[in-house]
Amino acid sequence: MTITDTPVAPTPASNRRLTTSKAMVEAIAQEMERNPSVVYLGEDVGAYGGIFSSTAGLVDRFGPDRVIDTPISETAFIGLGIGAAVEGMRPVVELMFADFMGVCLDQIYNHMAKIHFESGGHVTVPMVLTMAVGGGYSDGAQHSQCLWGTFAHLPGMKVVVPSNPADAKGLMTAAIRDDGPVVYMFHKGVMGLPWMAKNARSIADVPEGEHVVPIGQASVAREGRDVTVVTVSLSVHHALDVAEKVTADGIDVEVIDLRSLVPLDSDAILTSVAKTGRLVVVDEDYRSFGLSGEVVATVTDHDPTMLKVPVQRVAVPDVPIPYAHVLEYAVLPRHERIEAAVRRAVAI
Amino acid sequence: MTDVLFPSLSKDSPQAVGVLATWFVPEGATVSADQLIAEVQVDKVAAEVVAPVAGVVHLLVDEEASVVQGAPIARID
Repeated sequence: MTITDTPVAPTPASNRRLTTSKAMVEAIAQEMERNPSVVYLGEDVGAYGGIFSSTAGLVDRFGPDRVIDTPISETAFIGLGIGAAVEGMRPVVELMFADFMGVCLDQIYNHMAKIHFESGGHVTVPMVLTMAVGGGYSDGAQHSQCLWGTFAHLPGMKVVVPSNPADAKGLMTAAIRDDGPVVYMFHKGVMGLPWMAKNARSIADVPEGEHVVPIGQASVAREGRDVTVVTVSLSVHHALDVAEKVTADGIDVEVIDLRSLVPLDSDAILTSVAKTGRLVVVDEDYRSFGLSGEVVATVTDHDPTMLKVPVQRVAVPDVPIPYAHVLEYAVLPRHERIEAAVRRAVAI
Repeated sequence: MTDVLFPSLSKDSPQAVGVLATWFVPEGATVSADQLIAEVQVDKVAAEVVAPVAGVVHLLVDEEASVVQGAPIARID
């Protein structure tokens, strides 16, 4: 190996950026090309392309036998997916909103998540259950929740939550190839949809060809030495915005994007907190009995003396998410609340 | 040299004004034919714009700019 002083040529501006939704569709399409047992089903996933563009163009490429519009019975079509998976297919089933889990939870929790256990490991359920999550656009209390804590609480399912285009592609590929049920939760605010609030971080470089992000690996979205922000999904974007802003005051924030909730990458959390000694958890799900408490317990179970100061939790208070825009923004973990928590954590 | 036009999304009003929602390529990028370069929107209808030919793309309008249907949005040399 030769070491020279020759400067490395600057990386040319990428010629290929995608929105998160297009990256997700690309992964599904590539897996459908690769494996004829991959099918996609759900409400409005065919001609309409998914109400959040999760399947745009797929029916034109693969036809209605593999991209299947279903009637409005989540119990029926999730059950259909489970049956197909048990028989050896690899269905991707879309529950339009995570909020709708209530009408079909028996299929999800008592069948999809438990068949592998109850068969003594003889029967696998290689299925992906996708769903849109999150608020911020005045869609009311029954269409704005994240609820990933609920899915992660129930044993038997992996849970992945991409925040950006490349991870959306890589985690979808990994989810489809996984031999067990994977819940894939995409936030409407990271999809890069032209009719939603503009989000610069929802359009980014995406590797061409095969791209796999292993399930259960967090990523360091931004390195820093003063305080760790552990978060996921759209809140990663907000945390990165805050991190950039507070550099002006000499605060160096590390942002951990969990990417998967189950399995939880506890090593990534511990490594970062061991470095900074200060922890802020940002979670767009409800505060109580959820992800934020789990992340904190991950640290305190290991070694509570790692923490130099009390933990700051920024989550949705335990109220239904309001419809009124100002009230909704008041409960969501947006920039102001994240910044205040970061400043409190470093001020002590 | 090939002009890339804002696609005609509203057939009823040919002079409809839309928005250049997203550029997927930077100024001066080398693109291949049929590569996705932009997403545009008229009212709530969105459409993808692909490069008609391969070459070096020059962006003629900014992201978020209002554009009349049929007007050039980029040039490919």
